[in-house]
Amino acid sequence: MRRLRRVLAIGFAGVLWAACLSGVSAAQPVSQFDIEAGRILFENACSSCHGIGGTGTDMGPSVIGSGAAGADFMLTTGRMPLDNHLKQPVRKPPAFNPTEIHRISEYVASLGPGPEIPDVDLERADLVDGHRLYAENCAACHSSGGAGGAVGAGLEAPSLARSNPVQVVQAMRIGPGAMPVFGEQTLSDHEADSIALYLMHLRDSGDPGGLGMGRIGPIAEGAIAWIVGLGLLVLVCRWIGEKE
Amino acid sequence: MNDTKTEKRAVRRIAIAFAVSTVAGLSLALVYIRGGNVQAEGILLALALGGLGWGLAEWAGKLMPAGPEVGDYADPPVPGAEEEVAGVVEEGWEESFGRRKFLFRMLGAAAAAMGLALVFPIRSLGPSPGTSLLRTSWARGIRMVREDGRLVQASDLAQGGVITVFPEGHTDQADSQTLLIRVDPATIQAPAGREDWTADGLIAYSKICTHAGCPVGLYRVATHDLFCPCHQSTFDVLDGAKPIAGPATRALPQLPIEVDDEGYLVARDDFSEPVGPSFWNMPT
Repeated sequence: MRRLRRVLAIGFAGVLWAACLSGVSAAQPVSQFDIEAGRILFENACSSCHGIGGTGTDMGPSVIGSGAAGADFMLTTGRMPLDNHLKQPVRKPPAFNPTEIHRISEYVASLGPGPEIPDVDLERADLVDGHRLYAENCAACHSSGGAGGAVGAGLEAPSLARSNPVQVVQAMRIGPGAMPVFGEQTLSDHEADSIALYLMHLRDSGDPGGLGMGRIGPIAEGAIAWIVGLGLLVLVCRWIGEKE
Repeated sequence: MNDTKTEKRAVRRIAIAFAVSTVAGLSLALVYIRGGNVQAEGILLALALGGLGWGLAEWAGKLMPAGPEVGDYADPPVPGAEEEVAGVVEEGWEESFGRRKFLFRMLGAAAAAMGLALVFPIRSLGPSPGTSLLRTSWARGIRMVREDGRLVQASDLAQGGVITVFPEGHTDQADSQTLLIRVDPATIQAPAGREDWTADGLIAYSKICTHAGCPVGLYRVATHDLFCPCHQSTFDVLDGAKPIAGPATRALPQLPIEVDDEGYLVARDDFSEPVGPSFWNMPT
């Protein structure tokens, strides 16, 4: 009996672990109640810009066809709700709890066909492929180390340091803001997962040297070392000179 | 007039400096001809120039008459005074240089070696680039591949998608890299004569900026702009990639494309014009 309980406990832990790895949000069931609750939340918090029924207004685009992935990405990264619709949305703490986000996402998904929340599996992803694909498709805007950067016209490609794997793949599939779309035909699920795995590797590998400086590369890092180091040396020389 | 002991020593040092410079200059030419080595060339150039400089400085400091000699002309002028001054100047010249035939030869050798070393890099201005600046590997019927060599189909790109493509078999050729973008076909304002250069909303431009040759890899979907990260040149994808901001003055060259019988994307010709920055004899 005790052994059975232990086996069950281990099994349960394993299921939980697998659920964590695959992204819990993707597995949540959908009910009519959720969609209705989502509609009420949407009308309270989103419809002032996106319109009743998500049809869009002068202040915000239509969300019909954004799918659960579009809503989940914008809400879990805190980009929506937005305080100033003229500014680029930036990552901030989410305004809704996970249940509310799930409900709003299901409501938006019910408005019209759109991308579903991706089922990200880092276990089957390939780190080396991820690096190659990231360099090829993402690094131009998000920089080689994922630190982000300016893309002109007052816009910026955000840092990816705080993105989780589901958000990374969602962004590829929906192309938020000025970002291009990388659909399943362009980057397969395996390739998208590999890019997410590479970003998690970057996030978790730490900076043994201390300040990471966005891992912008040896030339820029060297320039900073020269300027700061030489500046300090000049100050030291001046200090010695004054003491004499 | 004979040299003092100090002057003799100075002459010896100057001669050695010029000799070092000569040897270094000849060695520099030799190293360059034999393929070059940046470190060795740098050291030899420093020795050649340094030897010349050291010798000339020593010459000026130790062997030239020191200080200006100032005196009043007699007033009224004494007949023959000008000739006397001219004589003094000539004597000074003779004293400073005329006697130093040996040092002049050494100086000439050092300068000649230096000149010889500087002649050879002229050879490195060649050979002529020929038509390599005008043509890329794209041509009629050449299929598109991604960087990993996979062929590209029209269905590979969703609306608002972008990938970098190369001509099949030439993924190593940087000047052939091309951005393939899918836009709404109804929004394309094709320049005259380019109406059929796109395939179902797929449009292809050279990825190399016409300003300074950086990869124009930043595509802003919302405004259909290609943005160059180096100097902020911005190109309008829908309007023939004409520059709308930044220092670039020429549109990105467009690649005429179509879908072949098997569904793969192929080029219909090379780019509309030479890729990359302008050059002085570029045909327009």
